[in-house]
Amino acid sequence: MGLESKLPNGILLTNVEKFVNYSRSTSLWPATFGLACCAIEMMTSGAARHDISRFGMEVFRASPRQADLMIVAGRVSNKMAPVLRRIYDQMADPKWVLSMGVCATSGGMFNNYALVQGVDHIVPVDMYVPGCPPRPEMLIDGILKLHEKIRNETFAEQGAKA
Amino acid sequence: MSELYVPSPTHGLTGESVSLQDIEARVLDAFPEITADVVRDELTLHVAPDQLVEVMTFCRDDEQLSCELLADLAGIHWPAGDHIIERQASTTGWPEYRTSREHGAIEVNYILRSVTRNHWFRLSVATPDDDPRLPSVTDIYKTANFHEREVYDFFGVEFTGHPDLTRILMPDDWLGHPHRKDYPLGGVEVDYKNDKFIPPPDQRDLREVVD
Amino acid sequence: MAIDPNAETRTGRRGRGADAKRDREVELYVEGADWETVVDAVEDETLTVNMGPQHPSTHGVLRLVLELDGEVVNKLTPIIGYLHTGIEKSAEFRPWVQGTTFVTRMDYLSPLFNEAAYSMGVEKLLDIEVPERAQAARVILLEFNRIASHLVWLATGGMELGSTTMMVFGFREREHILDLFESQSGLRMNHAYIRPGGLAQDVTDDFVQRCETLLELLPRKIAEYEDLLLRNPIWNDRLRDVGHIDAQTCYDYGITGPLLRAAGVPWDLRKSNPYSGYEQYDFDIPTESAGDCFARFLVRIEEMRQSMRIIRQALDTLPGGPVMVADKRIAWPSQQSLGPDGIGNDPEYIRHIMGESMEALINHFKLVTQGFTVPAGQVYVPIESPRGELGYAMTSTGTNKPYRVHVRDPSFVNLQAADVMSRGHMVSDVVVVVASLDPVMGGVDR
Repeated sequence: MGLESKLPNGILLTNVEKFVNYSRSTSLWPATFGLACCAIEMMTSGAARHDISRFGMEVFRASPRQADLMIVAGRVSNKMAPVLRRIYDQMADPKWVLSMGVCATSGGMFNNYALVQGVDHIVPVDMYVPGCPPRPEMLIDGILKLHEKIRNETFAEQGAKA
Repeated sequence: MSELYVPSPTHGLTGESVSLQDIEARVLDAFPEITADVVRDELTLHVAPDQLVEVMTFCRDDEQLSCELLADLAGIHWPAGDHIIERQASTTGWPEYRTSREHGAIEVNYILRSVTRNHWFRLSVATPDDDPRLPSVTDIYKTANFHEREVYDFFGVEFTGHPDLTRILMPDDWLGHPHRKDYPLGGVEVDYKNDKFIPPPDQRDLREVVD
Repeated sequence: MAIDPNAETRTGRRGRGADAKRDREVELYVEGADWETVVDAVEDETLTVNMGPQHPSTHGVLRLVLELDGEVVNKLTPIIGYLHTGIEKSAEFRPWVQGTTFVTRMDYLSPLFNEAAYSMGVEKLLDIEVPERAQAARVILLEFNRIASHLVWLATGGMELGSTTMMVFGFREREHILDLFESQSGLRMNHAYIRPGGLAQDVTDDFVQRCETLLELLPRKIAEYEDLLLRNPIWNDRLRDVGHIDAQTCYDYGITGPLLRAAGVPWDLRKSNPYSGYEQYDFDIPTESAGDCFARFLVRIEEMRQSMRIIRQALDTLPGGPVMVADKRIAWPSQQSLGPDGIGNDPEYIRHIMGESMEALINHFKLVTQGFTVPAGQVYVPIESPRGELGYAMTSTGTNKPYRVHVRDPSFVNLQAADVMSRGHMVSDVVVVVASLDPVMGGVDR
């Protein structure tokens, strides 16, 4: 067609956005924000049988400053909400949030005084994974869809988020 | 430690267990004003708040009773006046449950357990719910620390003599005491498609939704 | 102001307060031969450090405020409540059976124990006897859950101390146990399987065979963990003589479970107040006398072995019969079976209630929507969970909903000992101490 047919083997052409998105999505490091039962399923998805290391994500960074993805795994109580917001603010751009489980998505079965009814009241969420708790396969499915979403993101969208 | 037995239903670590009737007799001997009852194989001693510390110390130090562990400290709120338990009467025609009391009370149950003798029983204390106040037992059993803070947090019972009576499970600046019966469940309405709203469980009258 | 330069330098573990400092006299040298004393003289205050709720090593959302004198802990204050869910209050607005689903999410590493204790409380109030097959199946599943919980403890404890191998090993074995739970109840975690009256539905036909496969697999793996950790110099150095607690302090703080057994007291509610048929099974109570973290590790490994022993006996003597109490006013009516598209309503049962029997339909409807009513009264039912005495204090006023469900969670009570166990140790030992307590924050905060 144009340039590609004239190039020798072994050279690929792409655009910066695609390349940056590719590298962002394939090494998305999660921040440990495991709260309750979903945290155990999140740990299981990092363990031997369902291995998220295949997707470059087994390093759960303890420090939010080094993490890209915050997986809110578990129920967020009213006491924990300011802490959640603080950890989110401490993460460096670009950052994404995956709300794991129904308690993080919408308060789950606990429609009462103690829980925040959905973590999207506090932080902007990019992917919701339902389940109580979601199986590791479901979580990995959500993560892969998030990878899709990241690969299709433009710089303008990412900038608008910040 | 001298020889310890493996505990069995009739035997504690070092001694034979004392039957519930004997425990009752022994405590009532020392404190005649206490009332007791045995229901479903559980002994409950009803103690007045000003005698609580004495009775508990006796139960811990007495050789036959030797209650080493305070297993549990729980509060229950019995509000004054009419209290409607069943609010959904209009939906399925279930009977509306009401309880009615003249004076509101907060009942605090202490479960005392003996490991050496293998028995347990309950001390039940009541305090009026408009100004609930009880002596703290943290001097007798250090484990009461967290438990009493929890009862304070959820029922508002003030334990005099507690080293650090602050909220433990709710945020520090929370107002109200959630487990009291006059405190709402606090849920939110959930909206579904077609503009249907489901209120939280303590406010539901599903007939409205169905219509 | 004079000081004896040959005086014993203070290093290592210290535990005295600021008063001692004021009484000493200090002379400062220009050559710099006095760095230790200078630091001591100047530093009058303790440093307060927050190990916040989000931390990789605090076992969940636990906040620890440490008052440090250098690296040594003077005081540790646990601040909890970051996972408080109001489960006890929510249960007051749902029928008795639905309480099972709430309560199972409290101590989420041993959900079957929560369900079992709750169901036993309801059964005690109802004054009914659970069929023997249900009791034996409950025991088998509970003991597998105990093994799974100890595996998670080993895995996360190992990870917090740096052994990621242990983490992978522990979760790998736990997957097999979760496979078993999934095949019986449909869920890997938080199964609402043990219900008041028995089990939600009967165990599958291949239950015994699945358990046997597991029982063959697990002893080899536990031997692998011992190989990895028992004589490991890092494990020994970090766990021995750390977090020592003796029996009298355990009694004071109300501590039960592996911590009490590691302090030399052979107290186990399965032996002293047997429930659900435990009196038929022959097992030992592992006890150690050292009272430190290493002793707790040994106790938990041995408990896993004893659990397998109990499961072996229960499997051999698993009786036939129903798994739900026969009383139609209480027994959970619906049946589920494996259809072409997964587990769903049993078509036979649906045909029965829709086509054949009007009473069965009405009974089903009433039980599922309204639930059964429980006679008025108060009970306290304690069982031995992997962390200690798990007790349910339940009050009923004769309606179809609980009036008050209070849970005596062992993690809540045991956490108070974190302070006394970590005084005089260093900050890194705090991690070991908290790990050996095995707190599950869902149970602590409920």
